[in-house]
Amino acid sequence: MNQGYPITIYQEPDLHQSSLVLGWSEDAGDLGRKVTDYLNLKLKGQEFAEIEPDDFFPMGGVAIKDNIARFPESKFYACSEHELVICQSDSPGAEWYKFLSSVLDVAERHCLVKELYVIGAMVSFSAHTTPRQSLAVVNLPEMKEILSQYDLNRDMDYQTQPGERPTLNSFLLWLARERNIPGVSVWVPIPFYLAAMEDAQAEKKVLGFLNERLGLRIDFCDLDQEIRRQDEQLALARSRFPEIDDYINRLESNLLLSQEENGELIKKIEEFLGEGD
Amino acid sequence: MGIRLHQEPQLENPILVASWPGIGNIGIIAVDTLRGKLEAEEFGEIEPQEFFYPKRVLIRKGVLECLEFPSSKFYFKKIRGTDIIFFVGEEQPTEGGRMYAEGRKACRMAGLVLDVAEKFKCRRVYTSGAAVALIHHTTKPRVWAVPNAGSLISEIKAYQNTVLMSDIEGRGGHGNITGLNGLLLGVAKKRGFEAICLMGEIPVYLQGFPLSYPKASKSVLEVLSHSLKIEVNLDTLDELDQKVQQRIEEFYQQVPLEIRAQLDRLKRVAYAQPAEPGPITEEEEKRIVEDVEKFFKKRGEGG
Repeated sequence: MNQGYPITIYQEPDLHQSSLVLGWSEDAGDLGRKVTDYLNLKLKGQEFAEIEPDDFFPMGGVAIKDNIARFPESKFYACSEHELVICQSDSPGAEWYKFLSSVLDVAERHCLVKELYVIGAMVSFSAHTTPRQSLAVVNLPEMKEILSQYDLNRDMDYQTQPGERPTLNSFLLWLARERNIPGVSVWVPIPFYLAAMEDAQAEKKVLGFLNERLGLRIDFCDLDQEIRRQDEQLALARSRFPEIDDYINRLESNLLLSQEENGELIKKIEEFLGEGD
Repeated sequence: MGIRLHQEPQLENPILVASWPGIGNIGIIAVDTLRGKLEAEEFGEIEPQEFFYPKRVLIRKGVLECLEFPSSKFYFKKIRGTDIIFFVGEEQPTEGGRMYAEGRKACRMAGLVLDVAEKFKCRRVYTSGAAVALIHHTTKPRVWAVPNAGSLISEIKAYQNTVLMSDIEGRGGHGNITGLNGLLLGVAKKRGFEAICLMGEIPVYLQGFPLSYPKASKSVLEVLSHSLKIEVNLDTLDELDQKVQQRIEEFYQQVPLEIRAQLDRLKRVAYAQPAEPGPITEEEEKRIVEDVEKFFKKRGEGG
C-alpha cells in the first residue's frame, strides 16, 4: 500500500525516464486491450504492480465473458529495455479521482514517467475500407509541438454535448497536467460494425504511432497478416451477402444508414465473422 | 484536498443555508433564489475532484483546455444582525449509480460544509428539500419542517403554512429525508449545531417529472425568509411557476380520464387536519399512487 492508495507493488521496476502507455480493457474494437497485449507480448513486459479493485468496481459478483468469470484488473507491466510502462485496466465505475491518481502515483513514484500515452477508440459511421485517421488530444501545448512530426490530426475542437460526460482519458490527462506530466490521448475511429469485435487496422494505427514515437523497433508482420485476414473475411462477407455489400457501399459513398440498417449490418457482420473464429 | 476559501469575511452571528438538487429541485431553487436576490458574494468552494466525475471538457485545436466539475460553492451576505452563509451544491456526490448521496462520500461532504459553518461560528443550519405528498398541483404546497432538536419545535409551530411530521396523516411523527439535504441535518446534530430542514410539498404524481417545482420552492422561501426576518420579492418564482404549471397542465391532459378523476380528488386533501376524517380513505390513497405508478410505467415502456 502507498499513502492510503490501494496499490500493490510486487517488484520495483528498473525505470528512470519512462513513458506510460495506458489502455482500457473494454474499449470499442477491444482496442486498448489489444494494443497493450501486443506491446506486452512483443516487448516482454513484466508485471510489477496492480491497483486493488475493491474501491473502484462493483463487487456484487463476477462478470462472465467468453464462458470465463472475470474479475476487474488494473495491472502495470515494465519493459525496462525500452523505458516503457504499460498499464492495462478495466474502466473504474466509482472513485475515479482516486483511481486515476493511483495510476499517476505508480507512474511518477515508481517509474519516473516523463510522458503519458492513453489509447482511445471512438465509434465511427465510416466503412472499414476508409483509411483510419488518428486524432490526438494533448494536455500541454508543448506536447502538440512534439507530435507535429507524426501522422496525427492535432487540431480537434470538441466540447461535451448536453447529456454527455467527458471521457476517463480526458480526466486522466487533466490530472497528469496538474502534475506537469505531458500527455496525449490518441483516438482511432472504429467502424461501428466492428466495435463489438476487433479491428486490426485500428490496432496497427496506434501501435505504428507508438513504435515510431517511442523507438520500439517492433516488426508488425504478424499484425499485417491479421489485417489482411480481416480484410479478406470482410470482402468474403460482402461477396456472399449482397445486403452487406450494399450497406458498406453506401457507407463508402459517405451515406448514412438508418438505425435499423446499422443494426442489421452489425448483426450480419458479427454472425459472419463469429462463424470464422 | 477539501475546502478552498478565496476570502475570509468577518461575519456576525451567521446562519448557514445549504442545499443540493433533489426531487423537483425544490430546495436548491429556494436557496439559490434567496442567494441571488440578496446578491450574496462567493467566498469559497469545496474542491470537487474527489467527489465528482467531470461534467464538461473543452478541447480547442487539439489541446485539452478546460475540465469542469460540478460546483459546491459558499457565498456570504452581511445583513444587520443576520449574516448568512449560503452553500449551493450543483450535484449530490452519488456513488454506484444511486440518485442521492449516501455513505462515506456524502458524510465527508456534509462534514466539509459544517467545517465552514464552524469556522465562521454559525449558530444555526437550514437545509431544504422536497416532501412527496398527496396533494394536487393546483394547491399551495405546505412546508414540512424537521428540526434536529426538540427545542426547535415550538419555534416551528409558529411558522405559517408549515407542518411537523407528527401533523402529517399516518406518519406518527416518523419519516426519512433522503440524500444530503437530510444527511446534513444529522451530521449537524452530531456536531452540536441546531438545524432545520424545510421541505416543500410536491404532488406524488410529479415526483418523477423532469421539471422543477417552483411553487413549492416559493412556499419554502416564504418560511425561510420569515424565519430569517428578511423580506424577499418572489416575483421571479411566480413567473417560473406559471411556465411550469403550463407544462404540467399539458401533461395532465394526457393522463387517462379515470386516473385524472382520481387525481382531481386530491384537490380536496391539501389542508386536511390529522384529526379530521380525510376526504380520501387510506385505501383510495393507495389506489391513486398505484394508478399513477402504472401510468408512468406504461409511458416509460412506450418509449
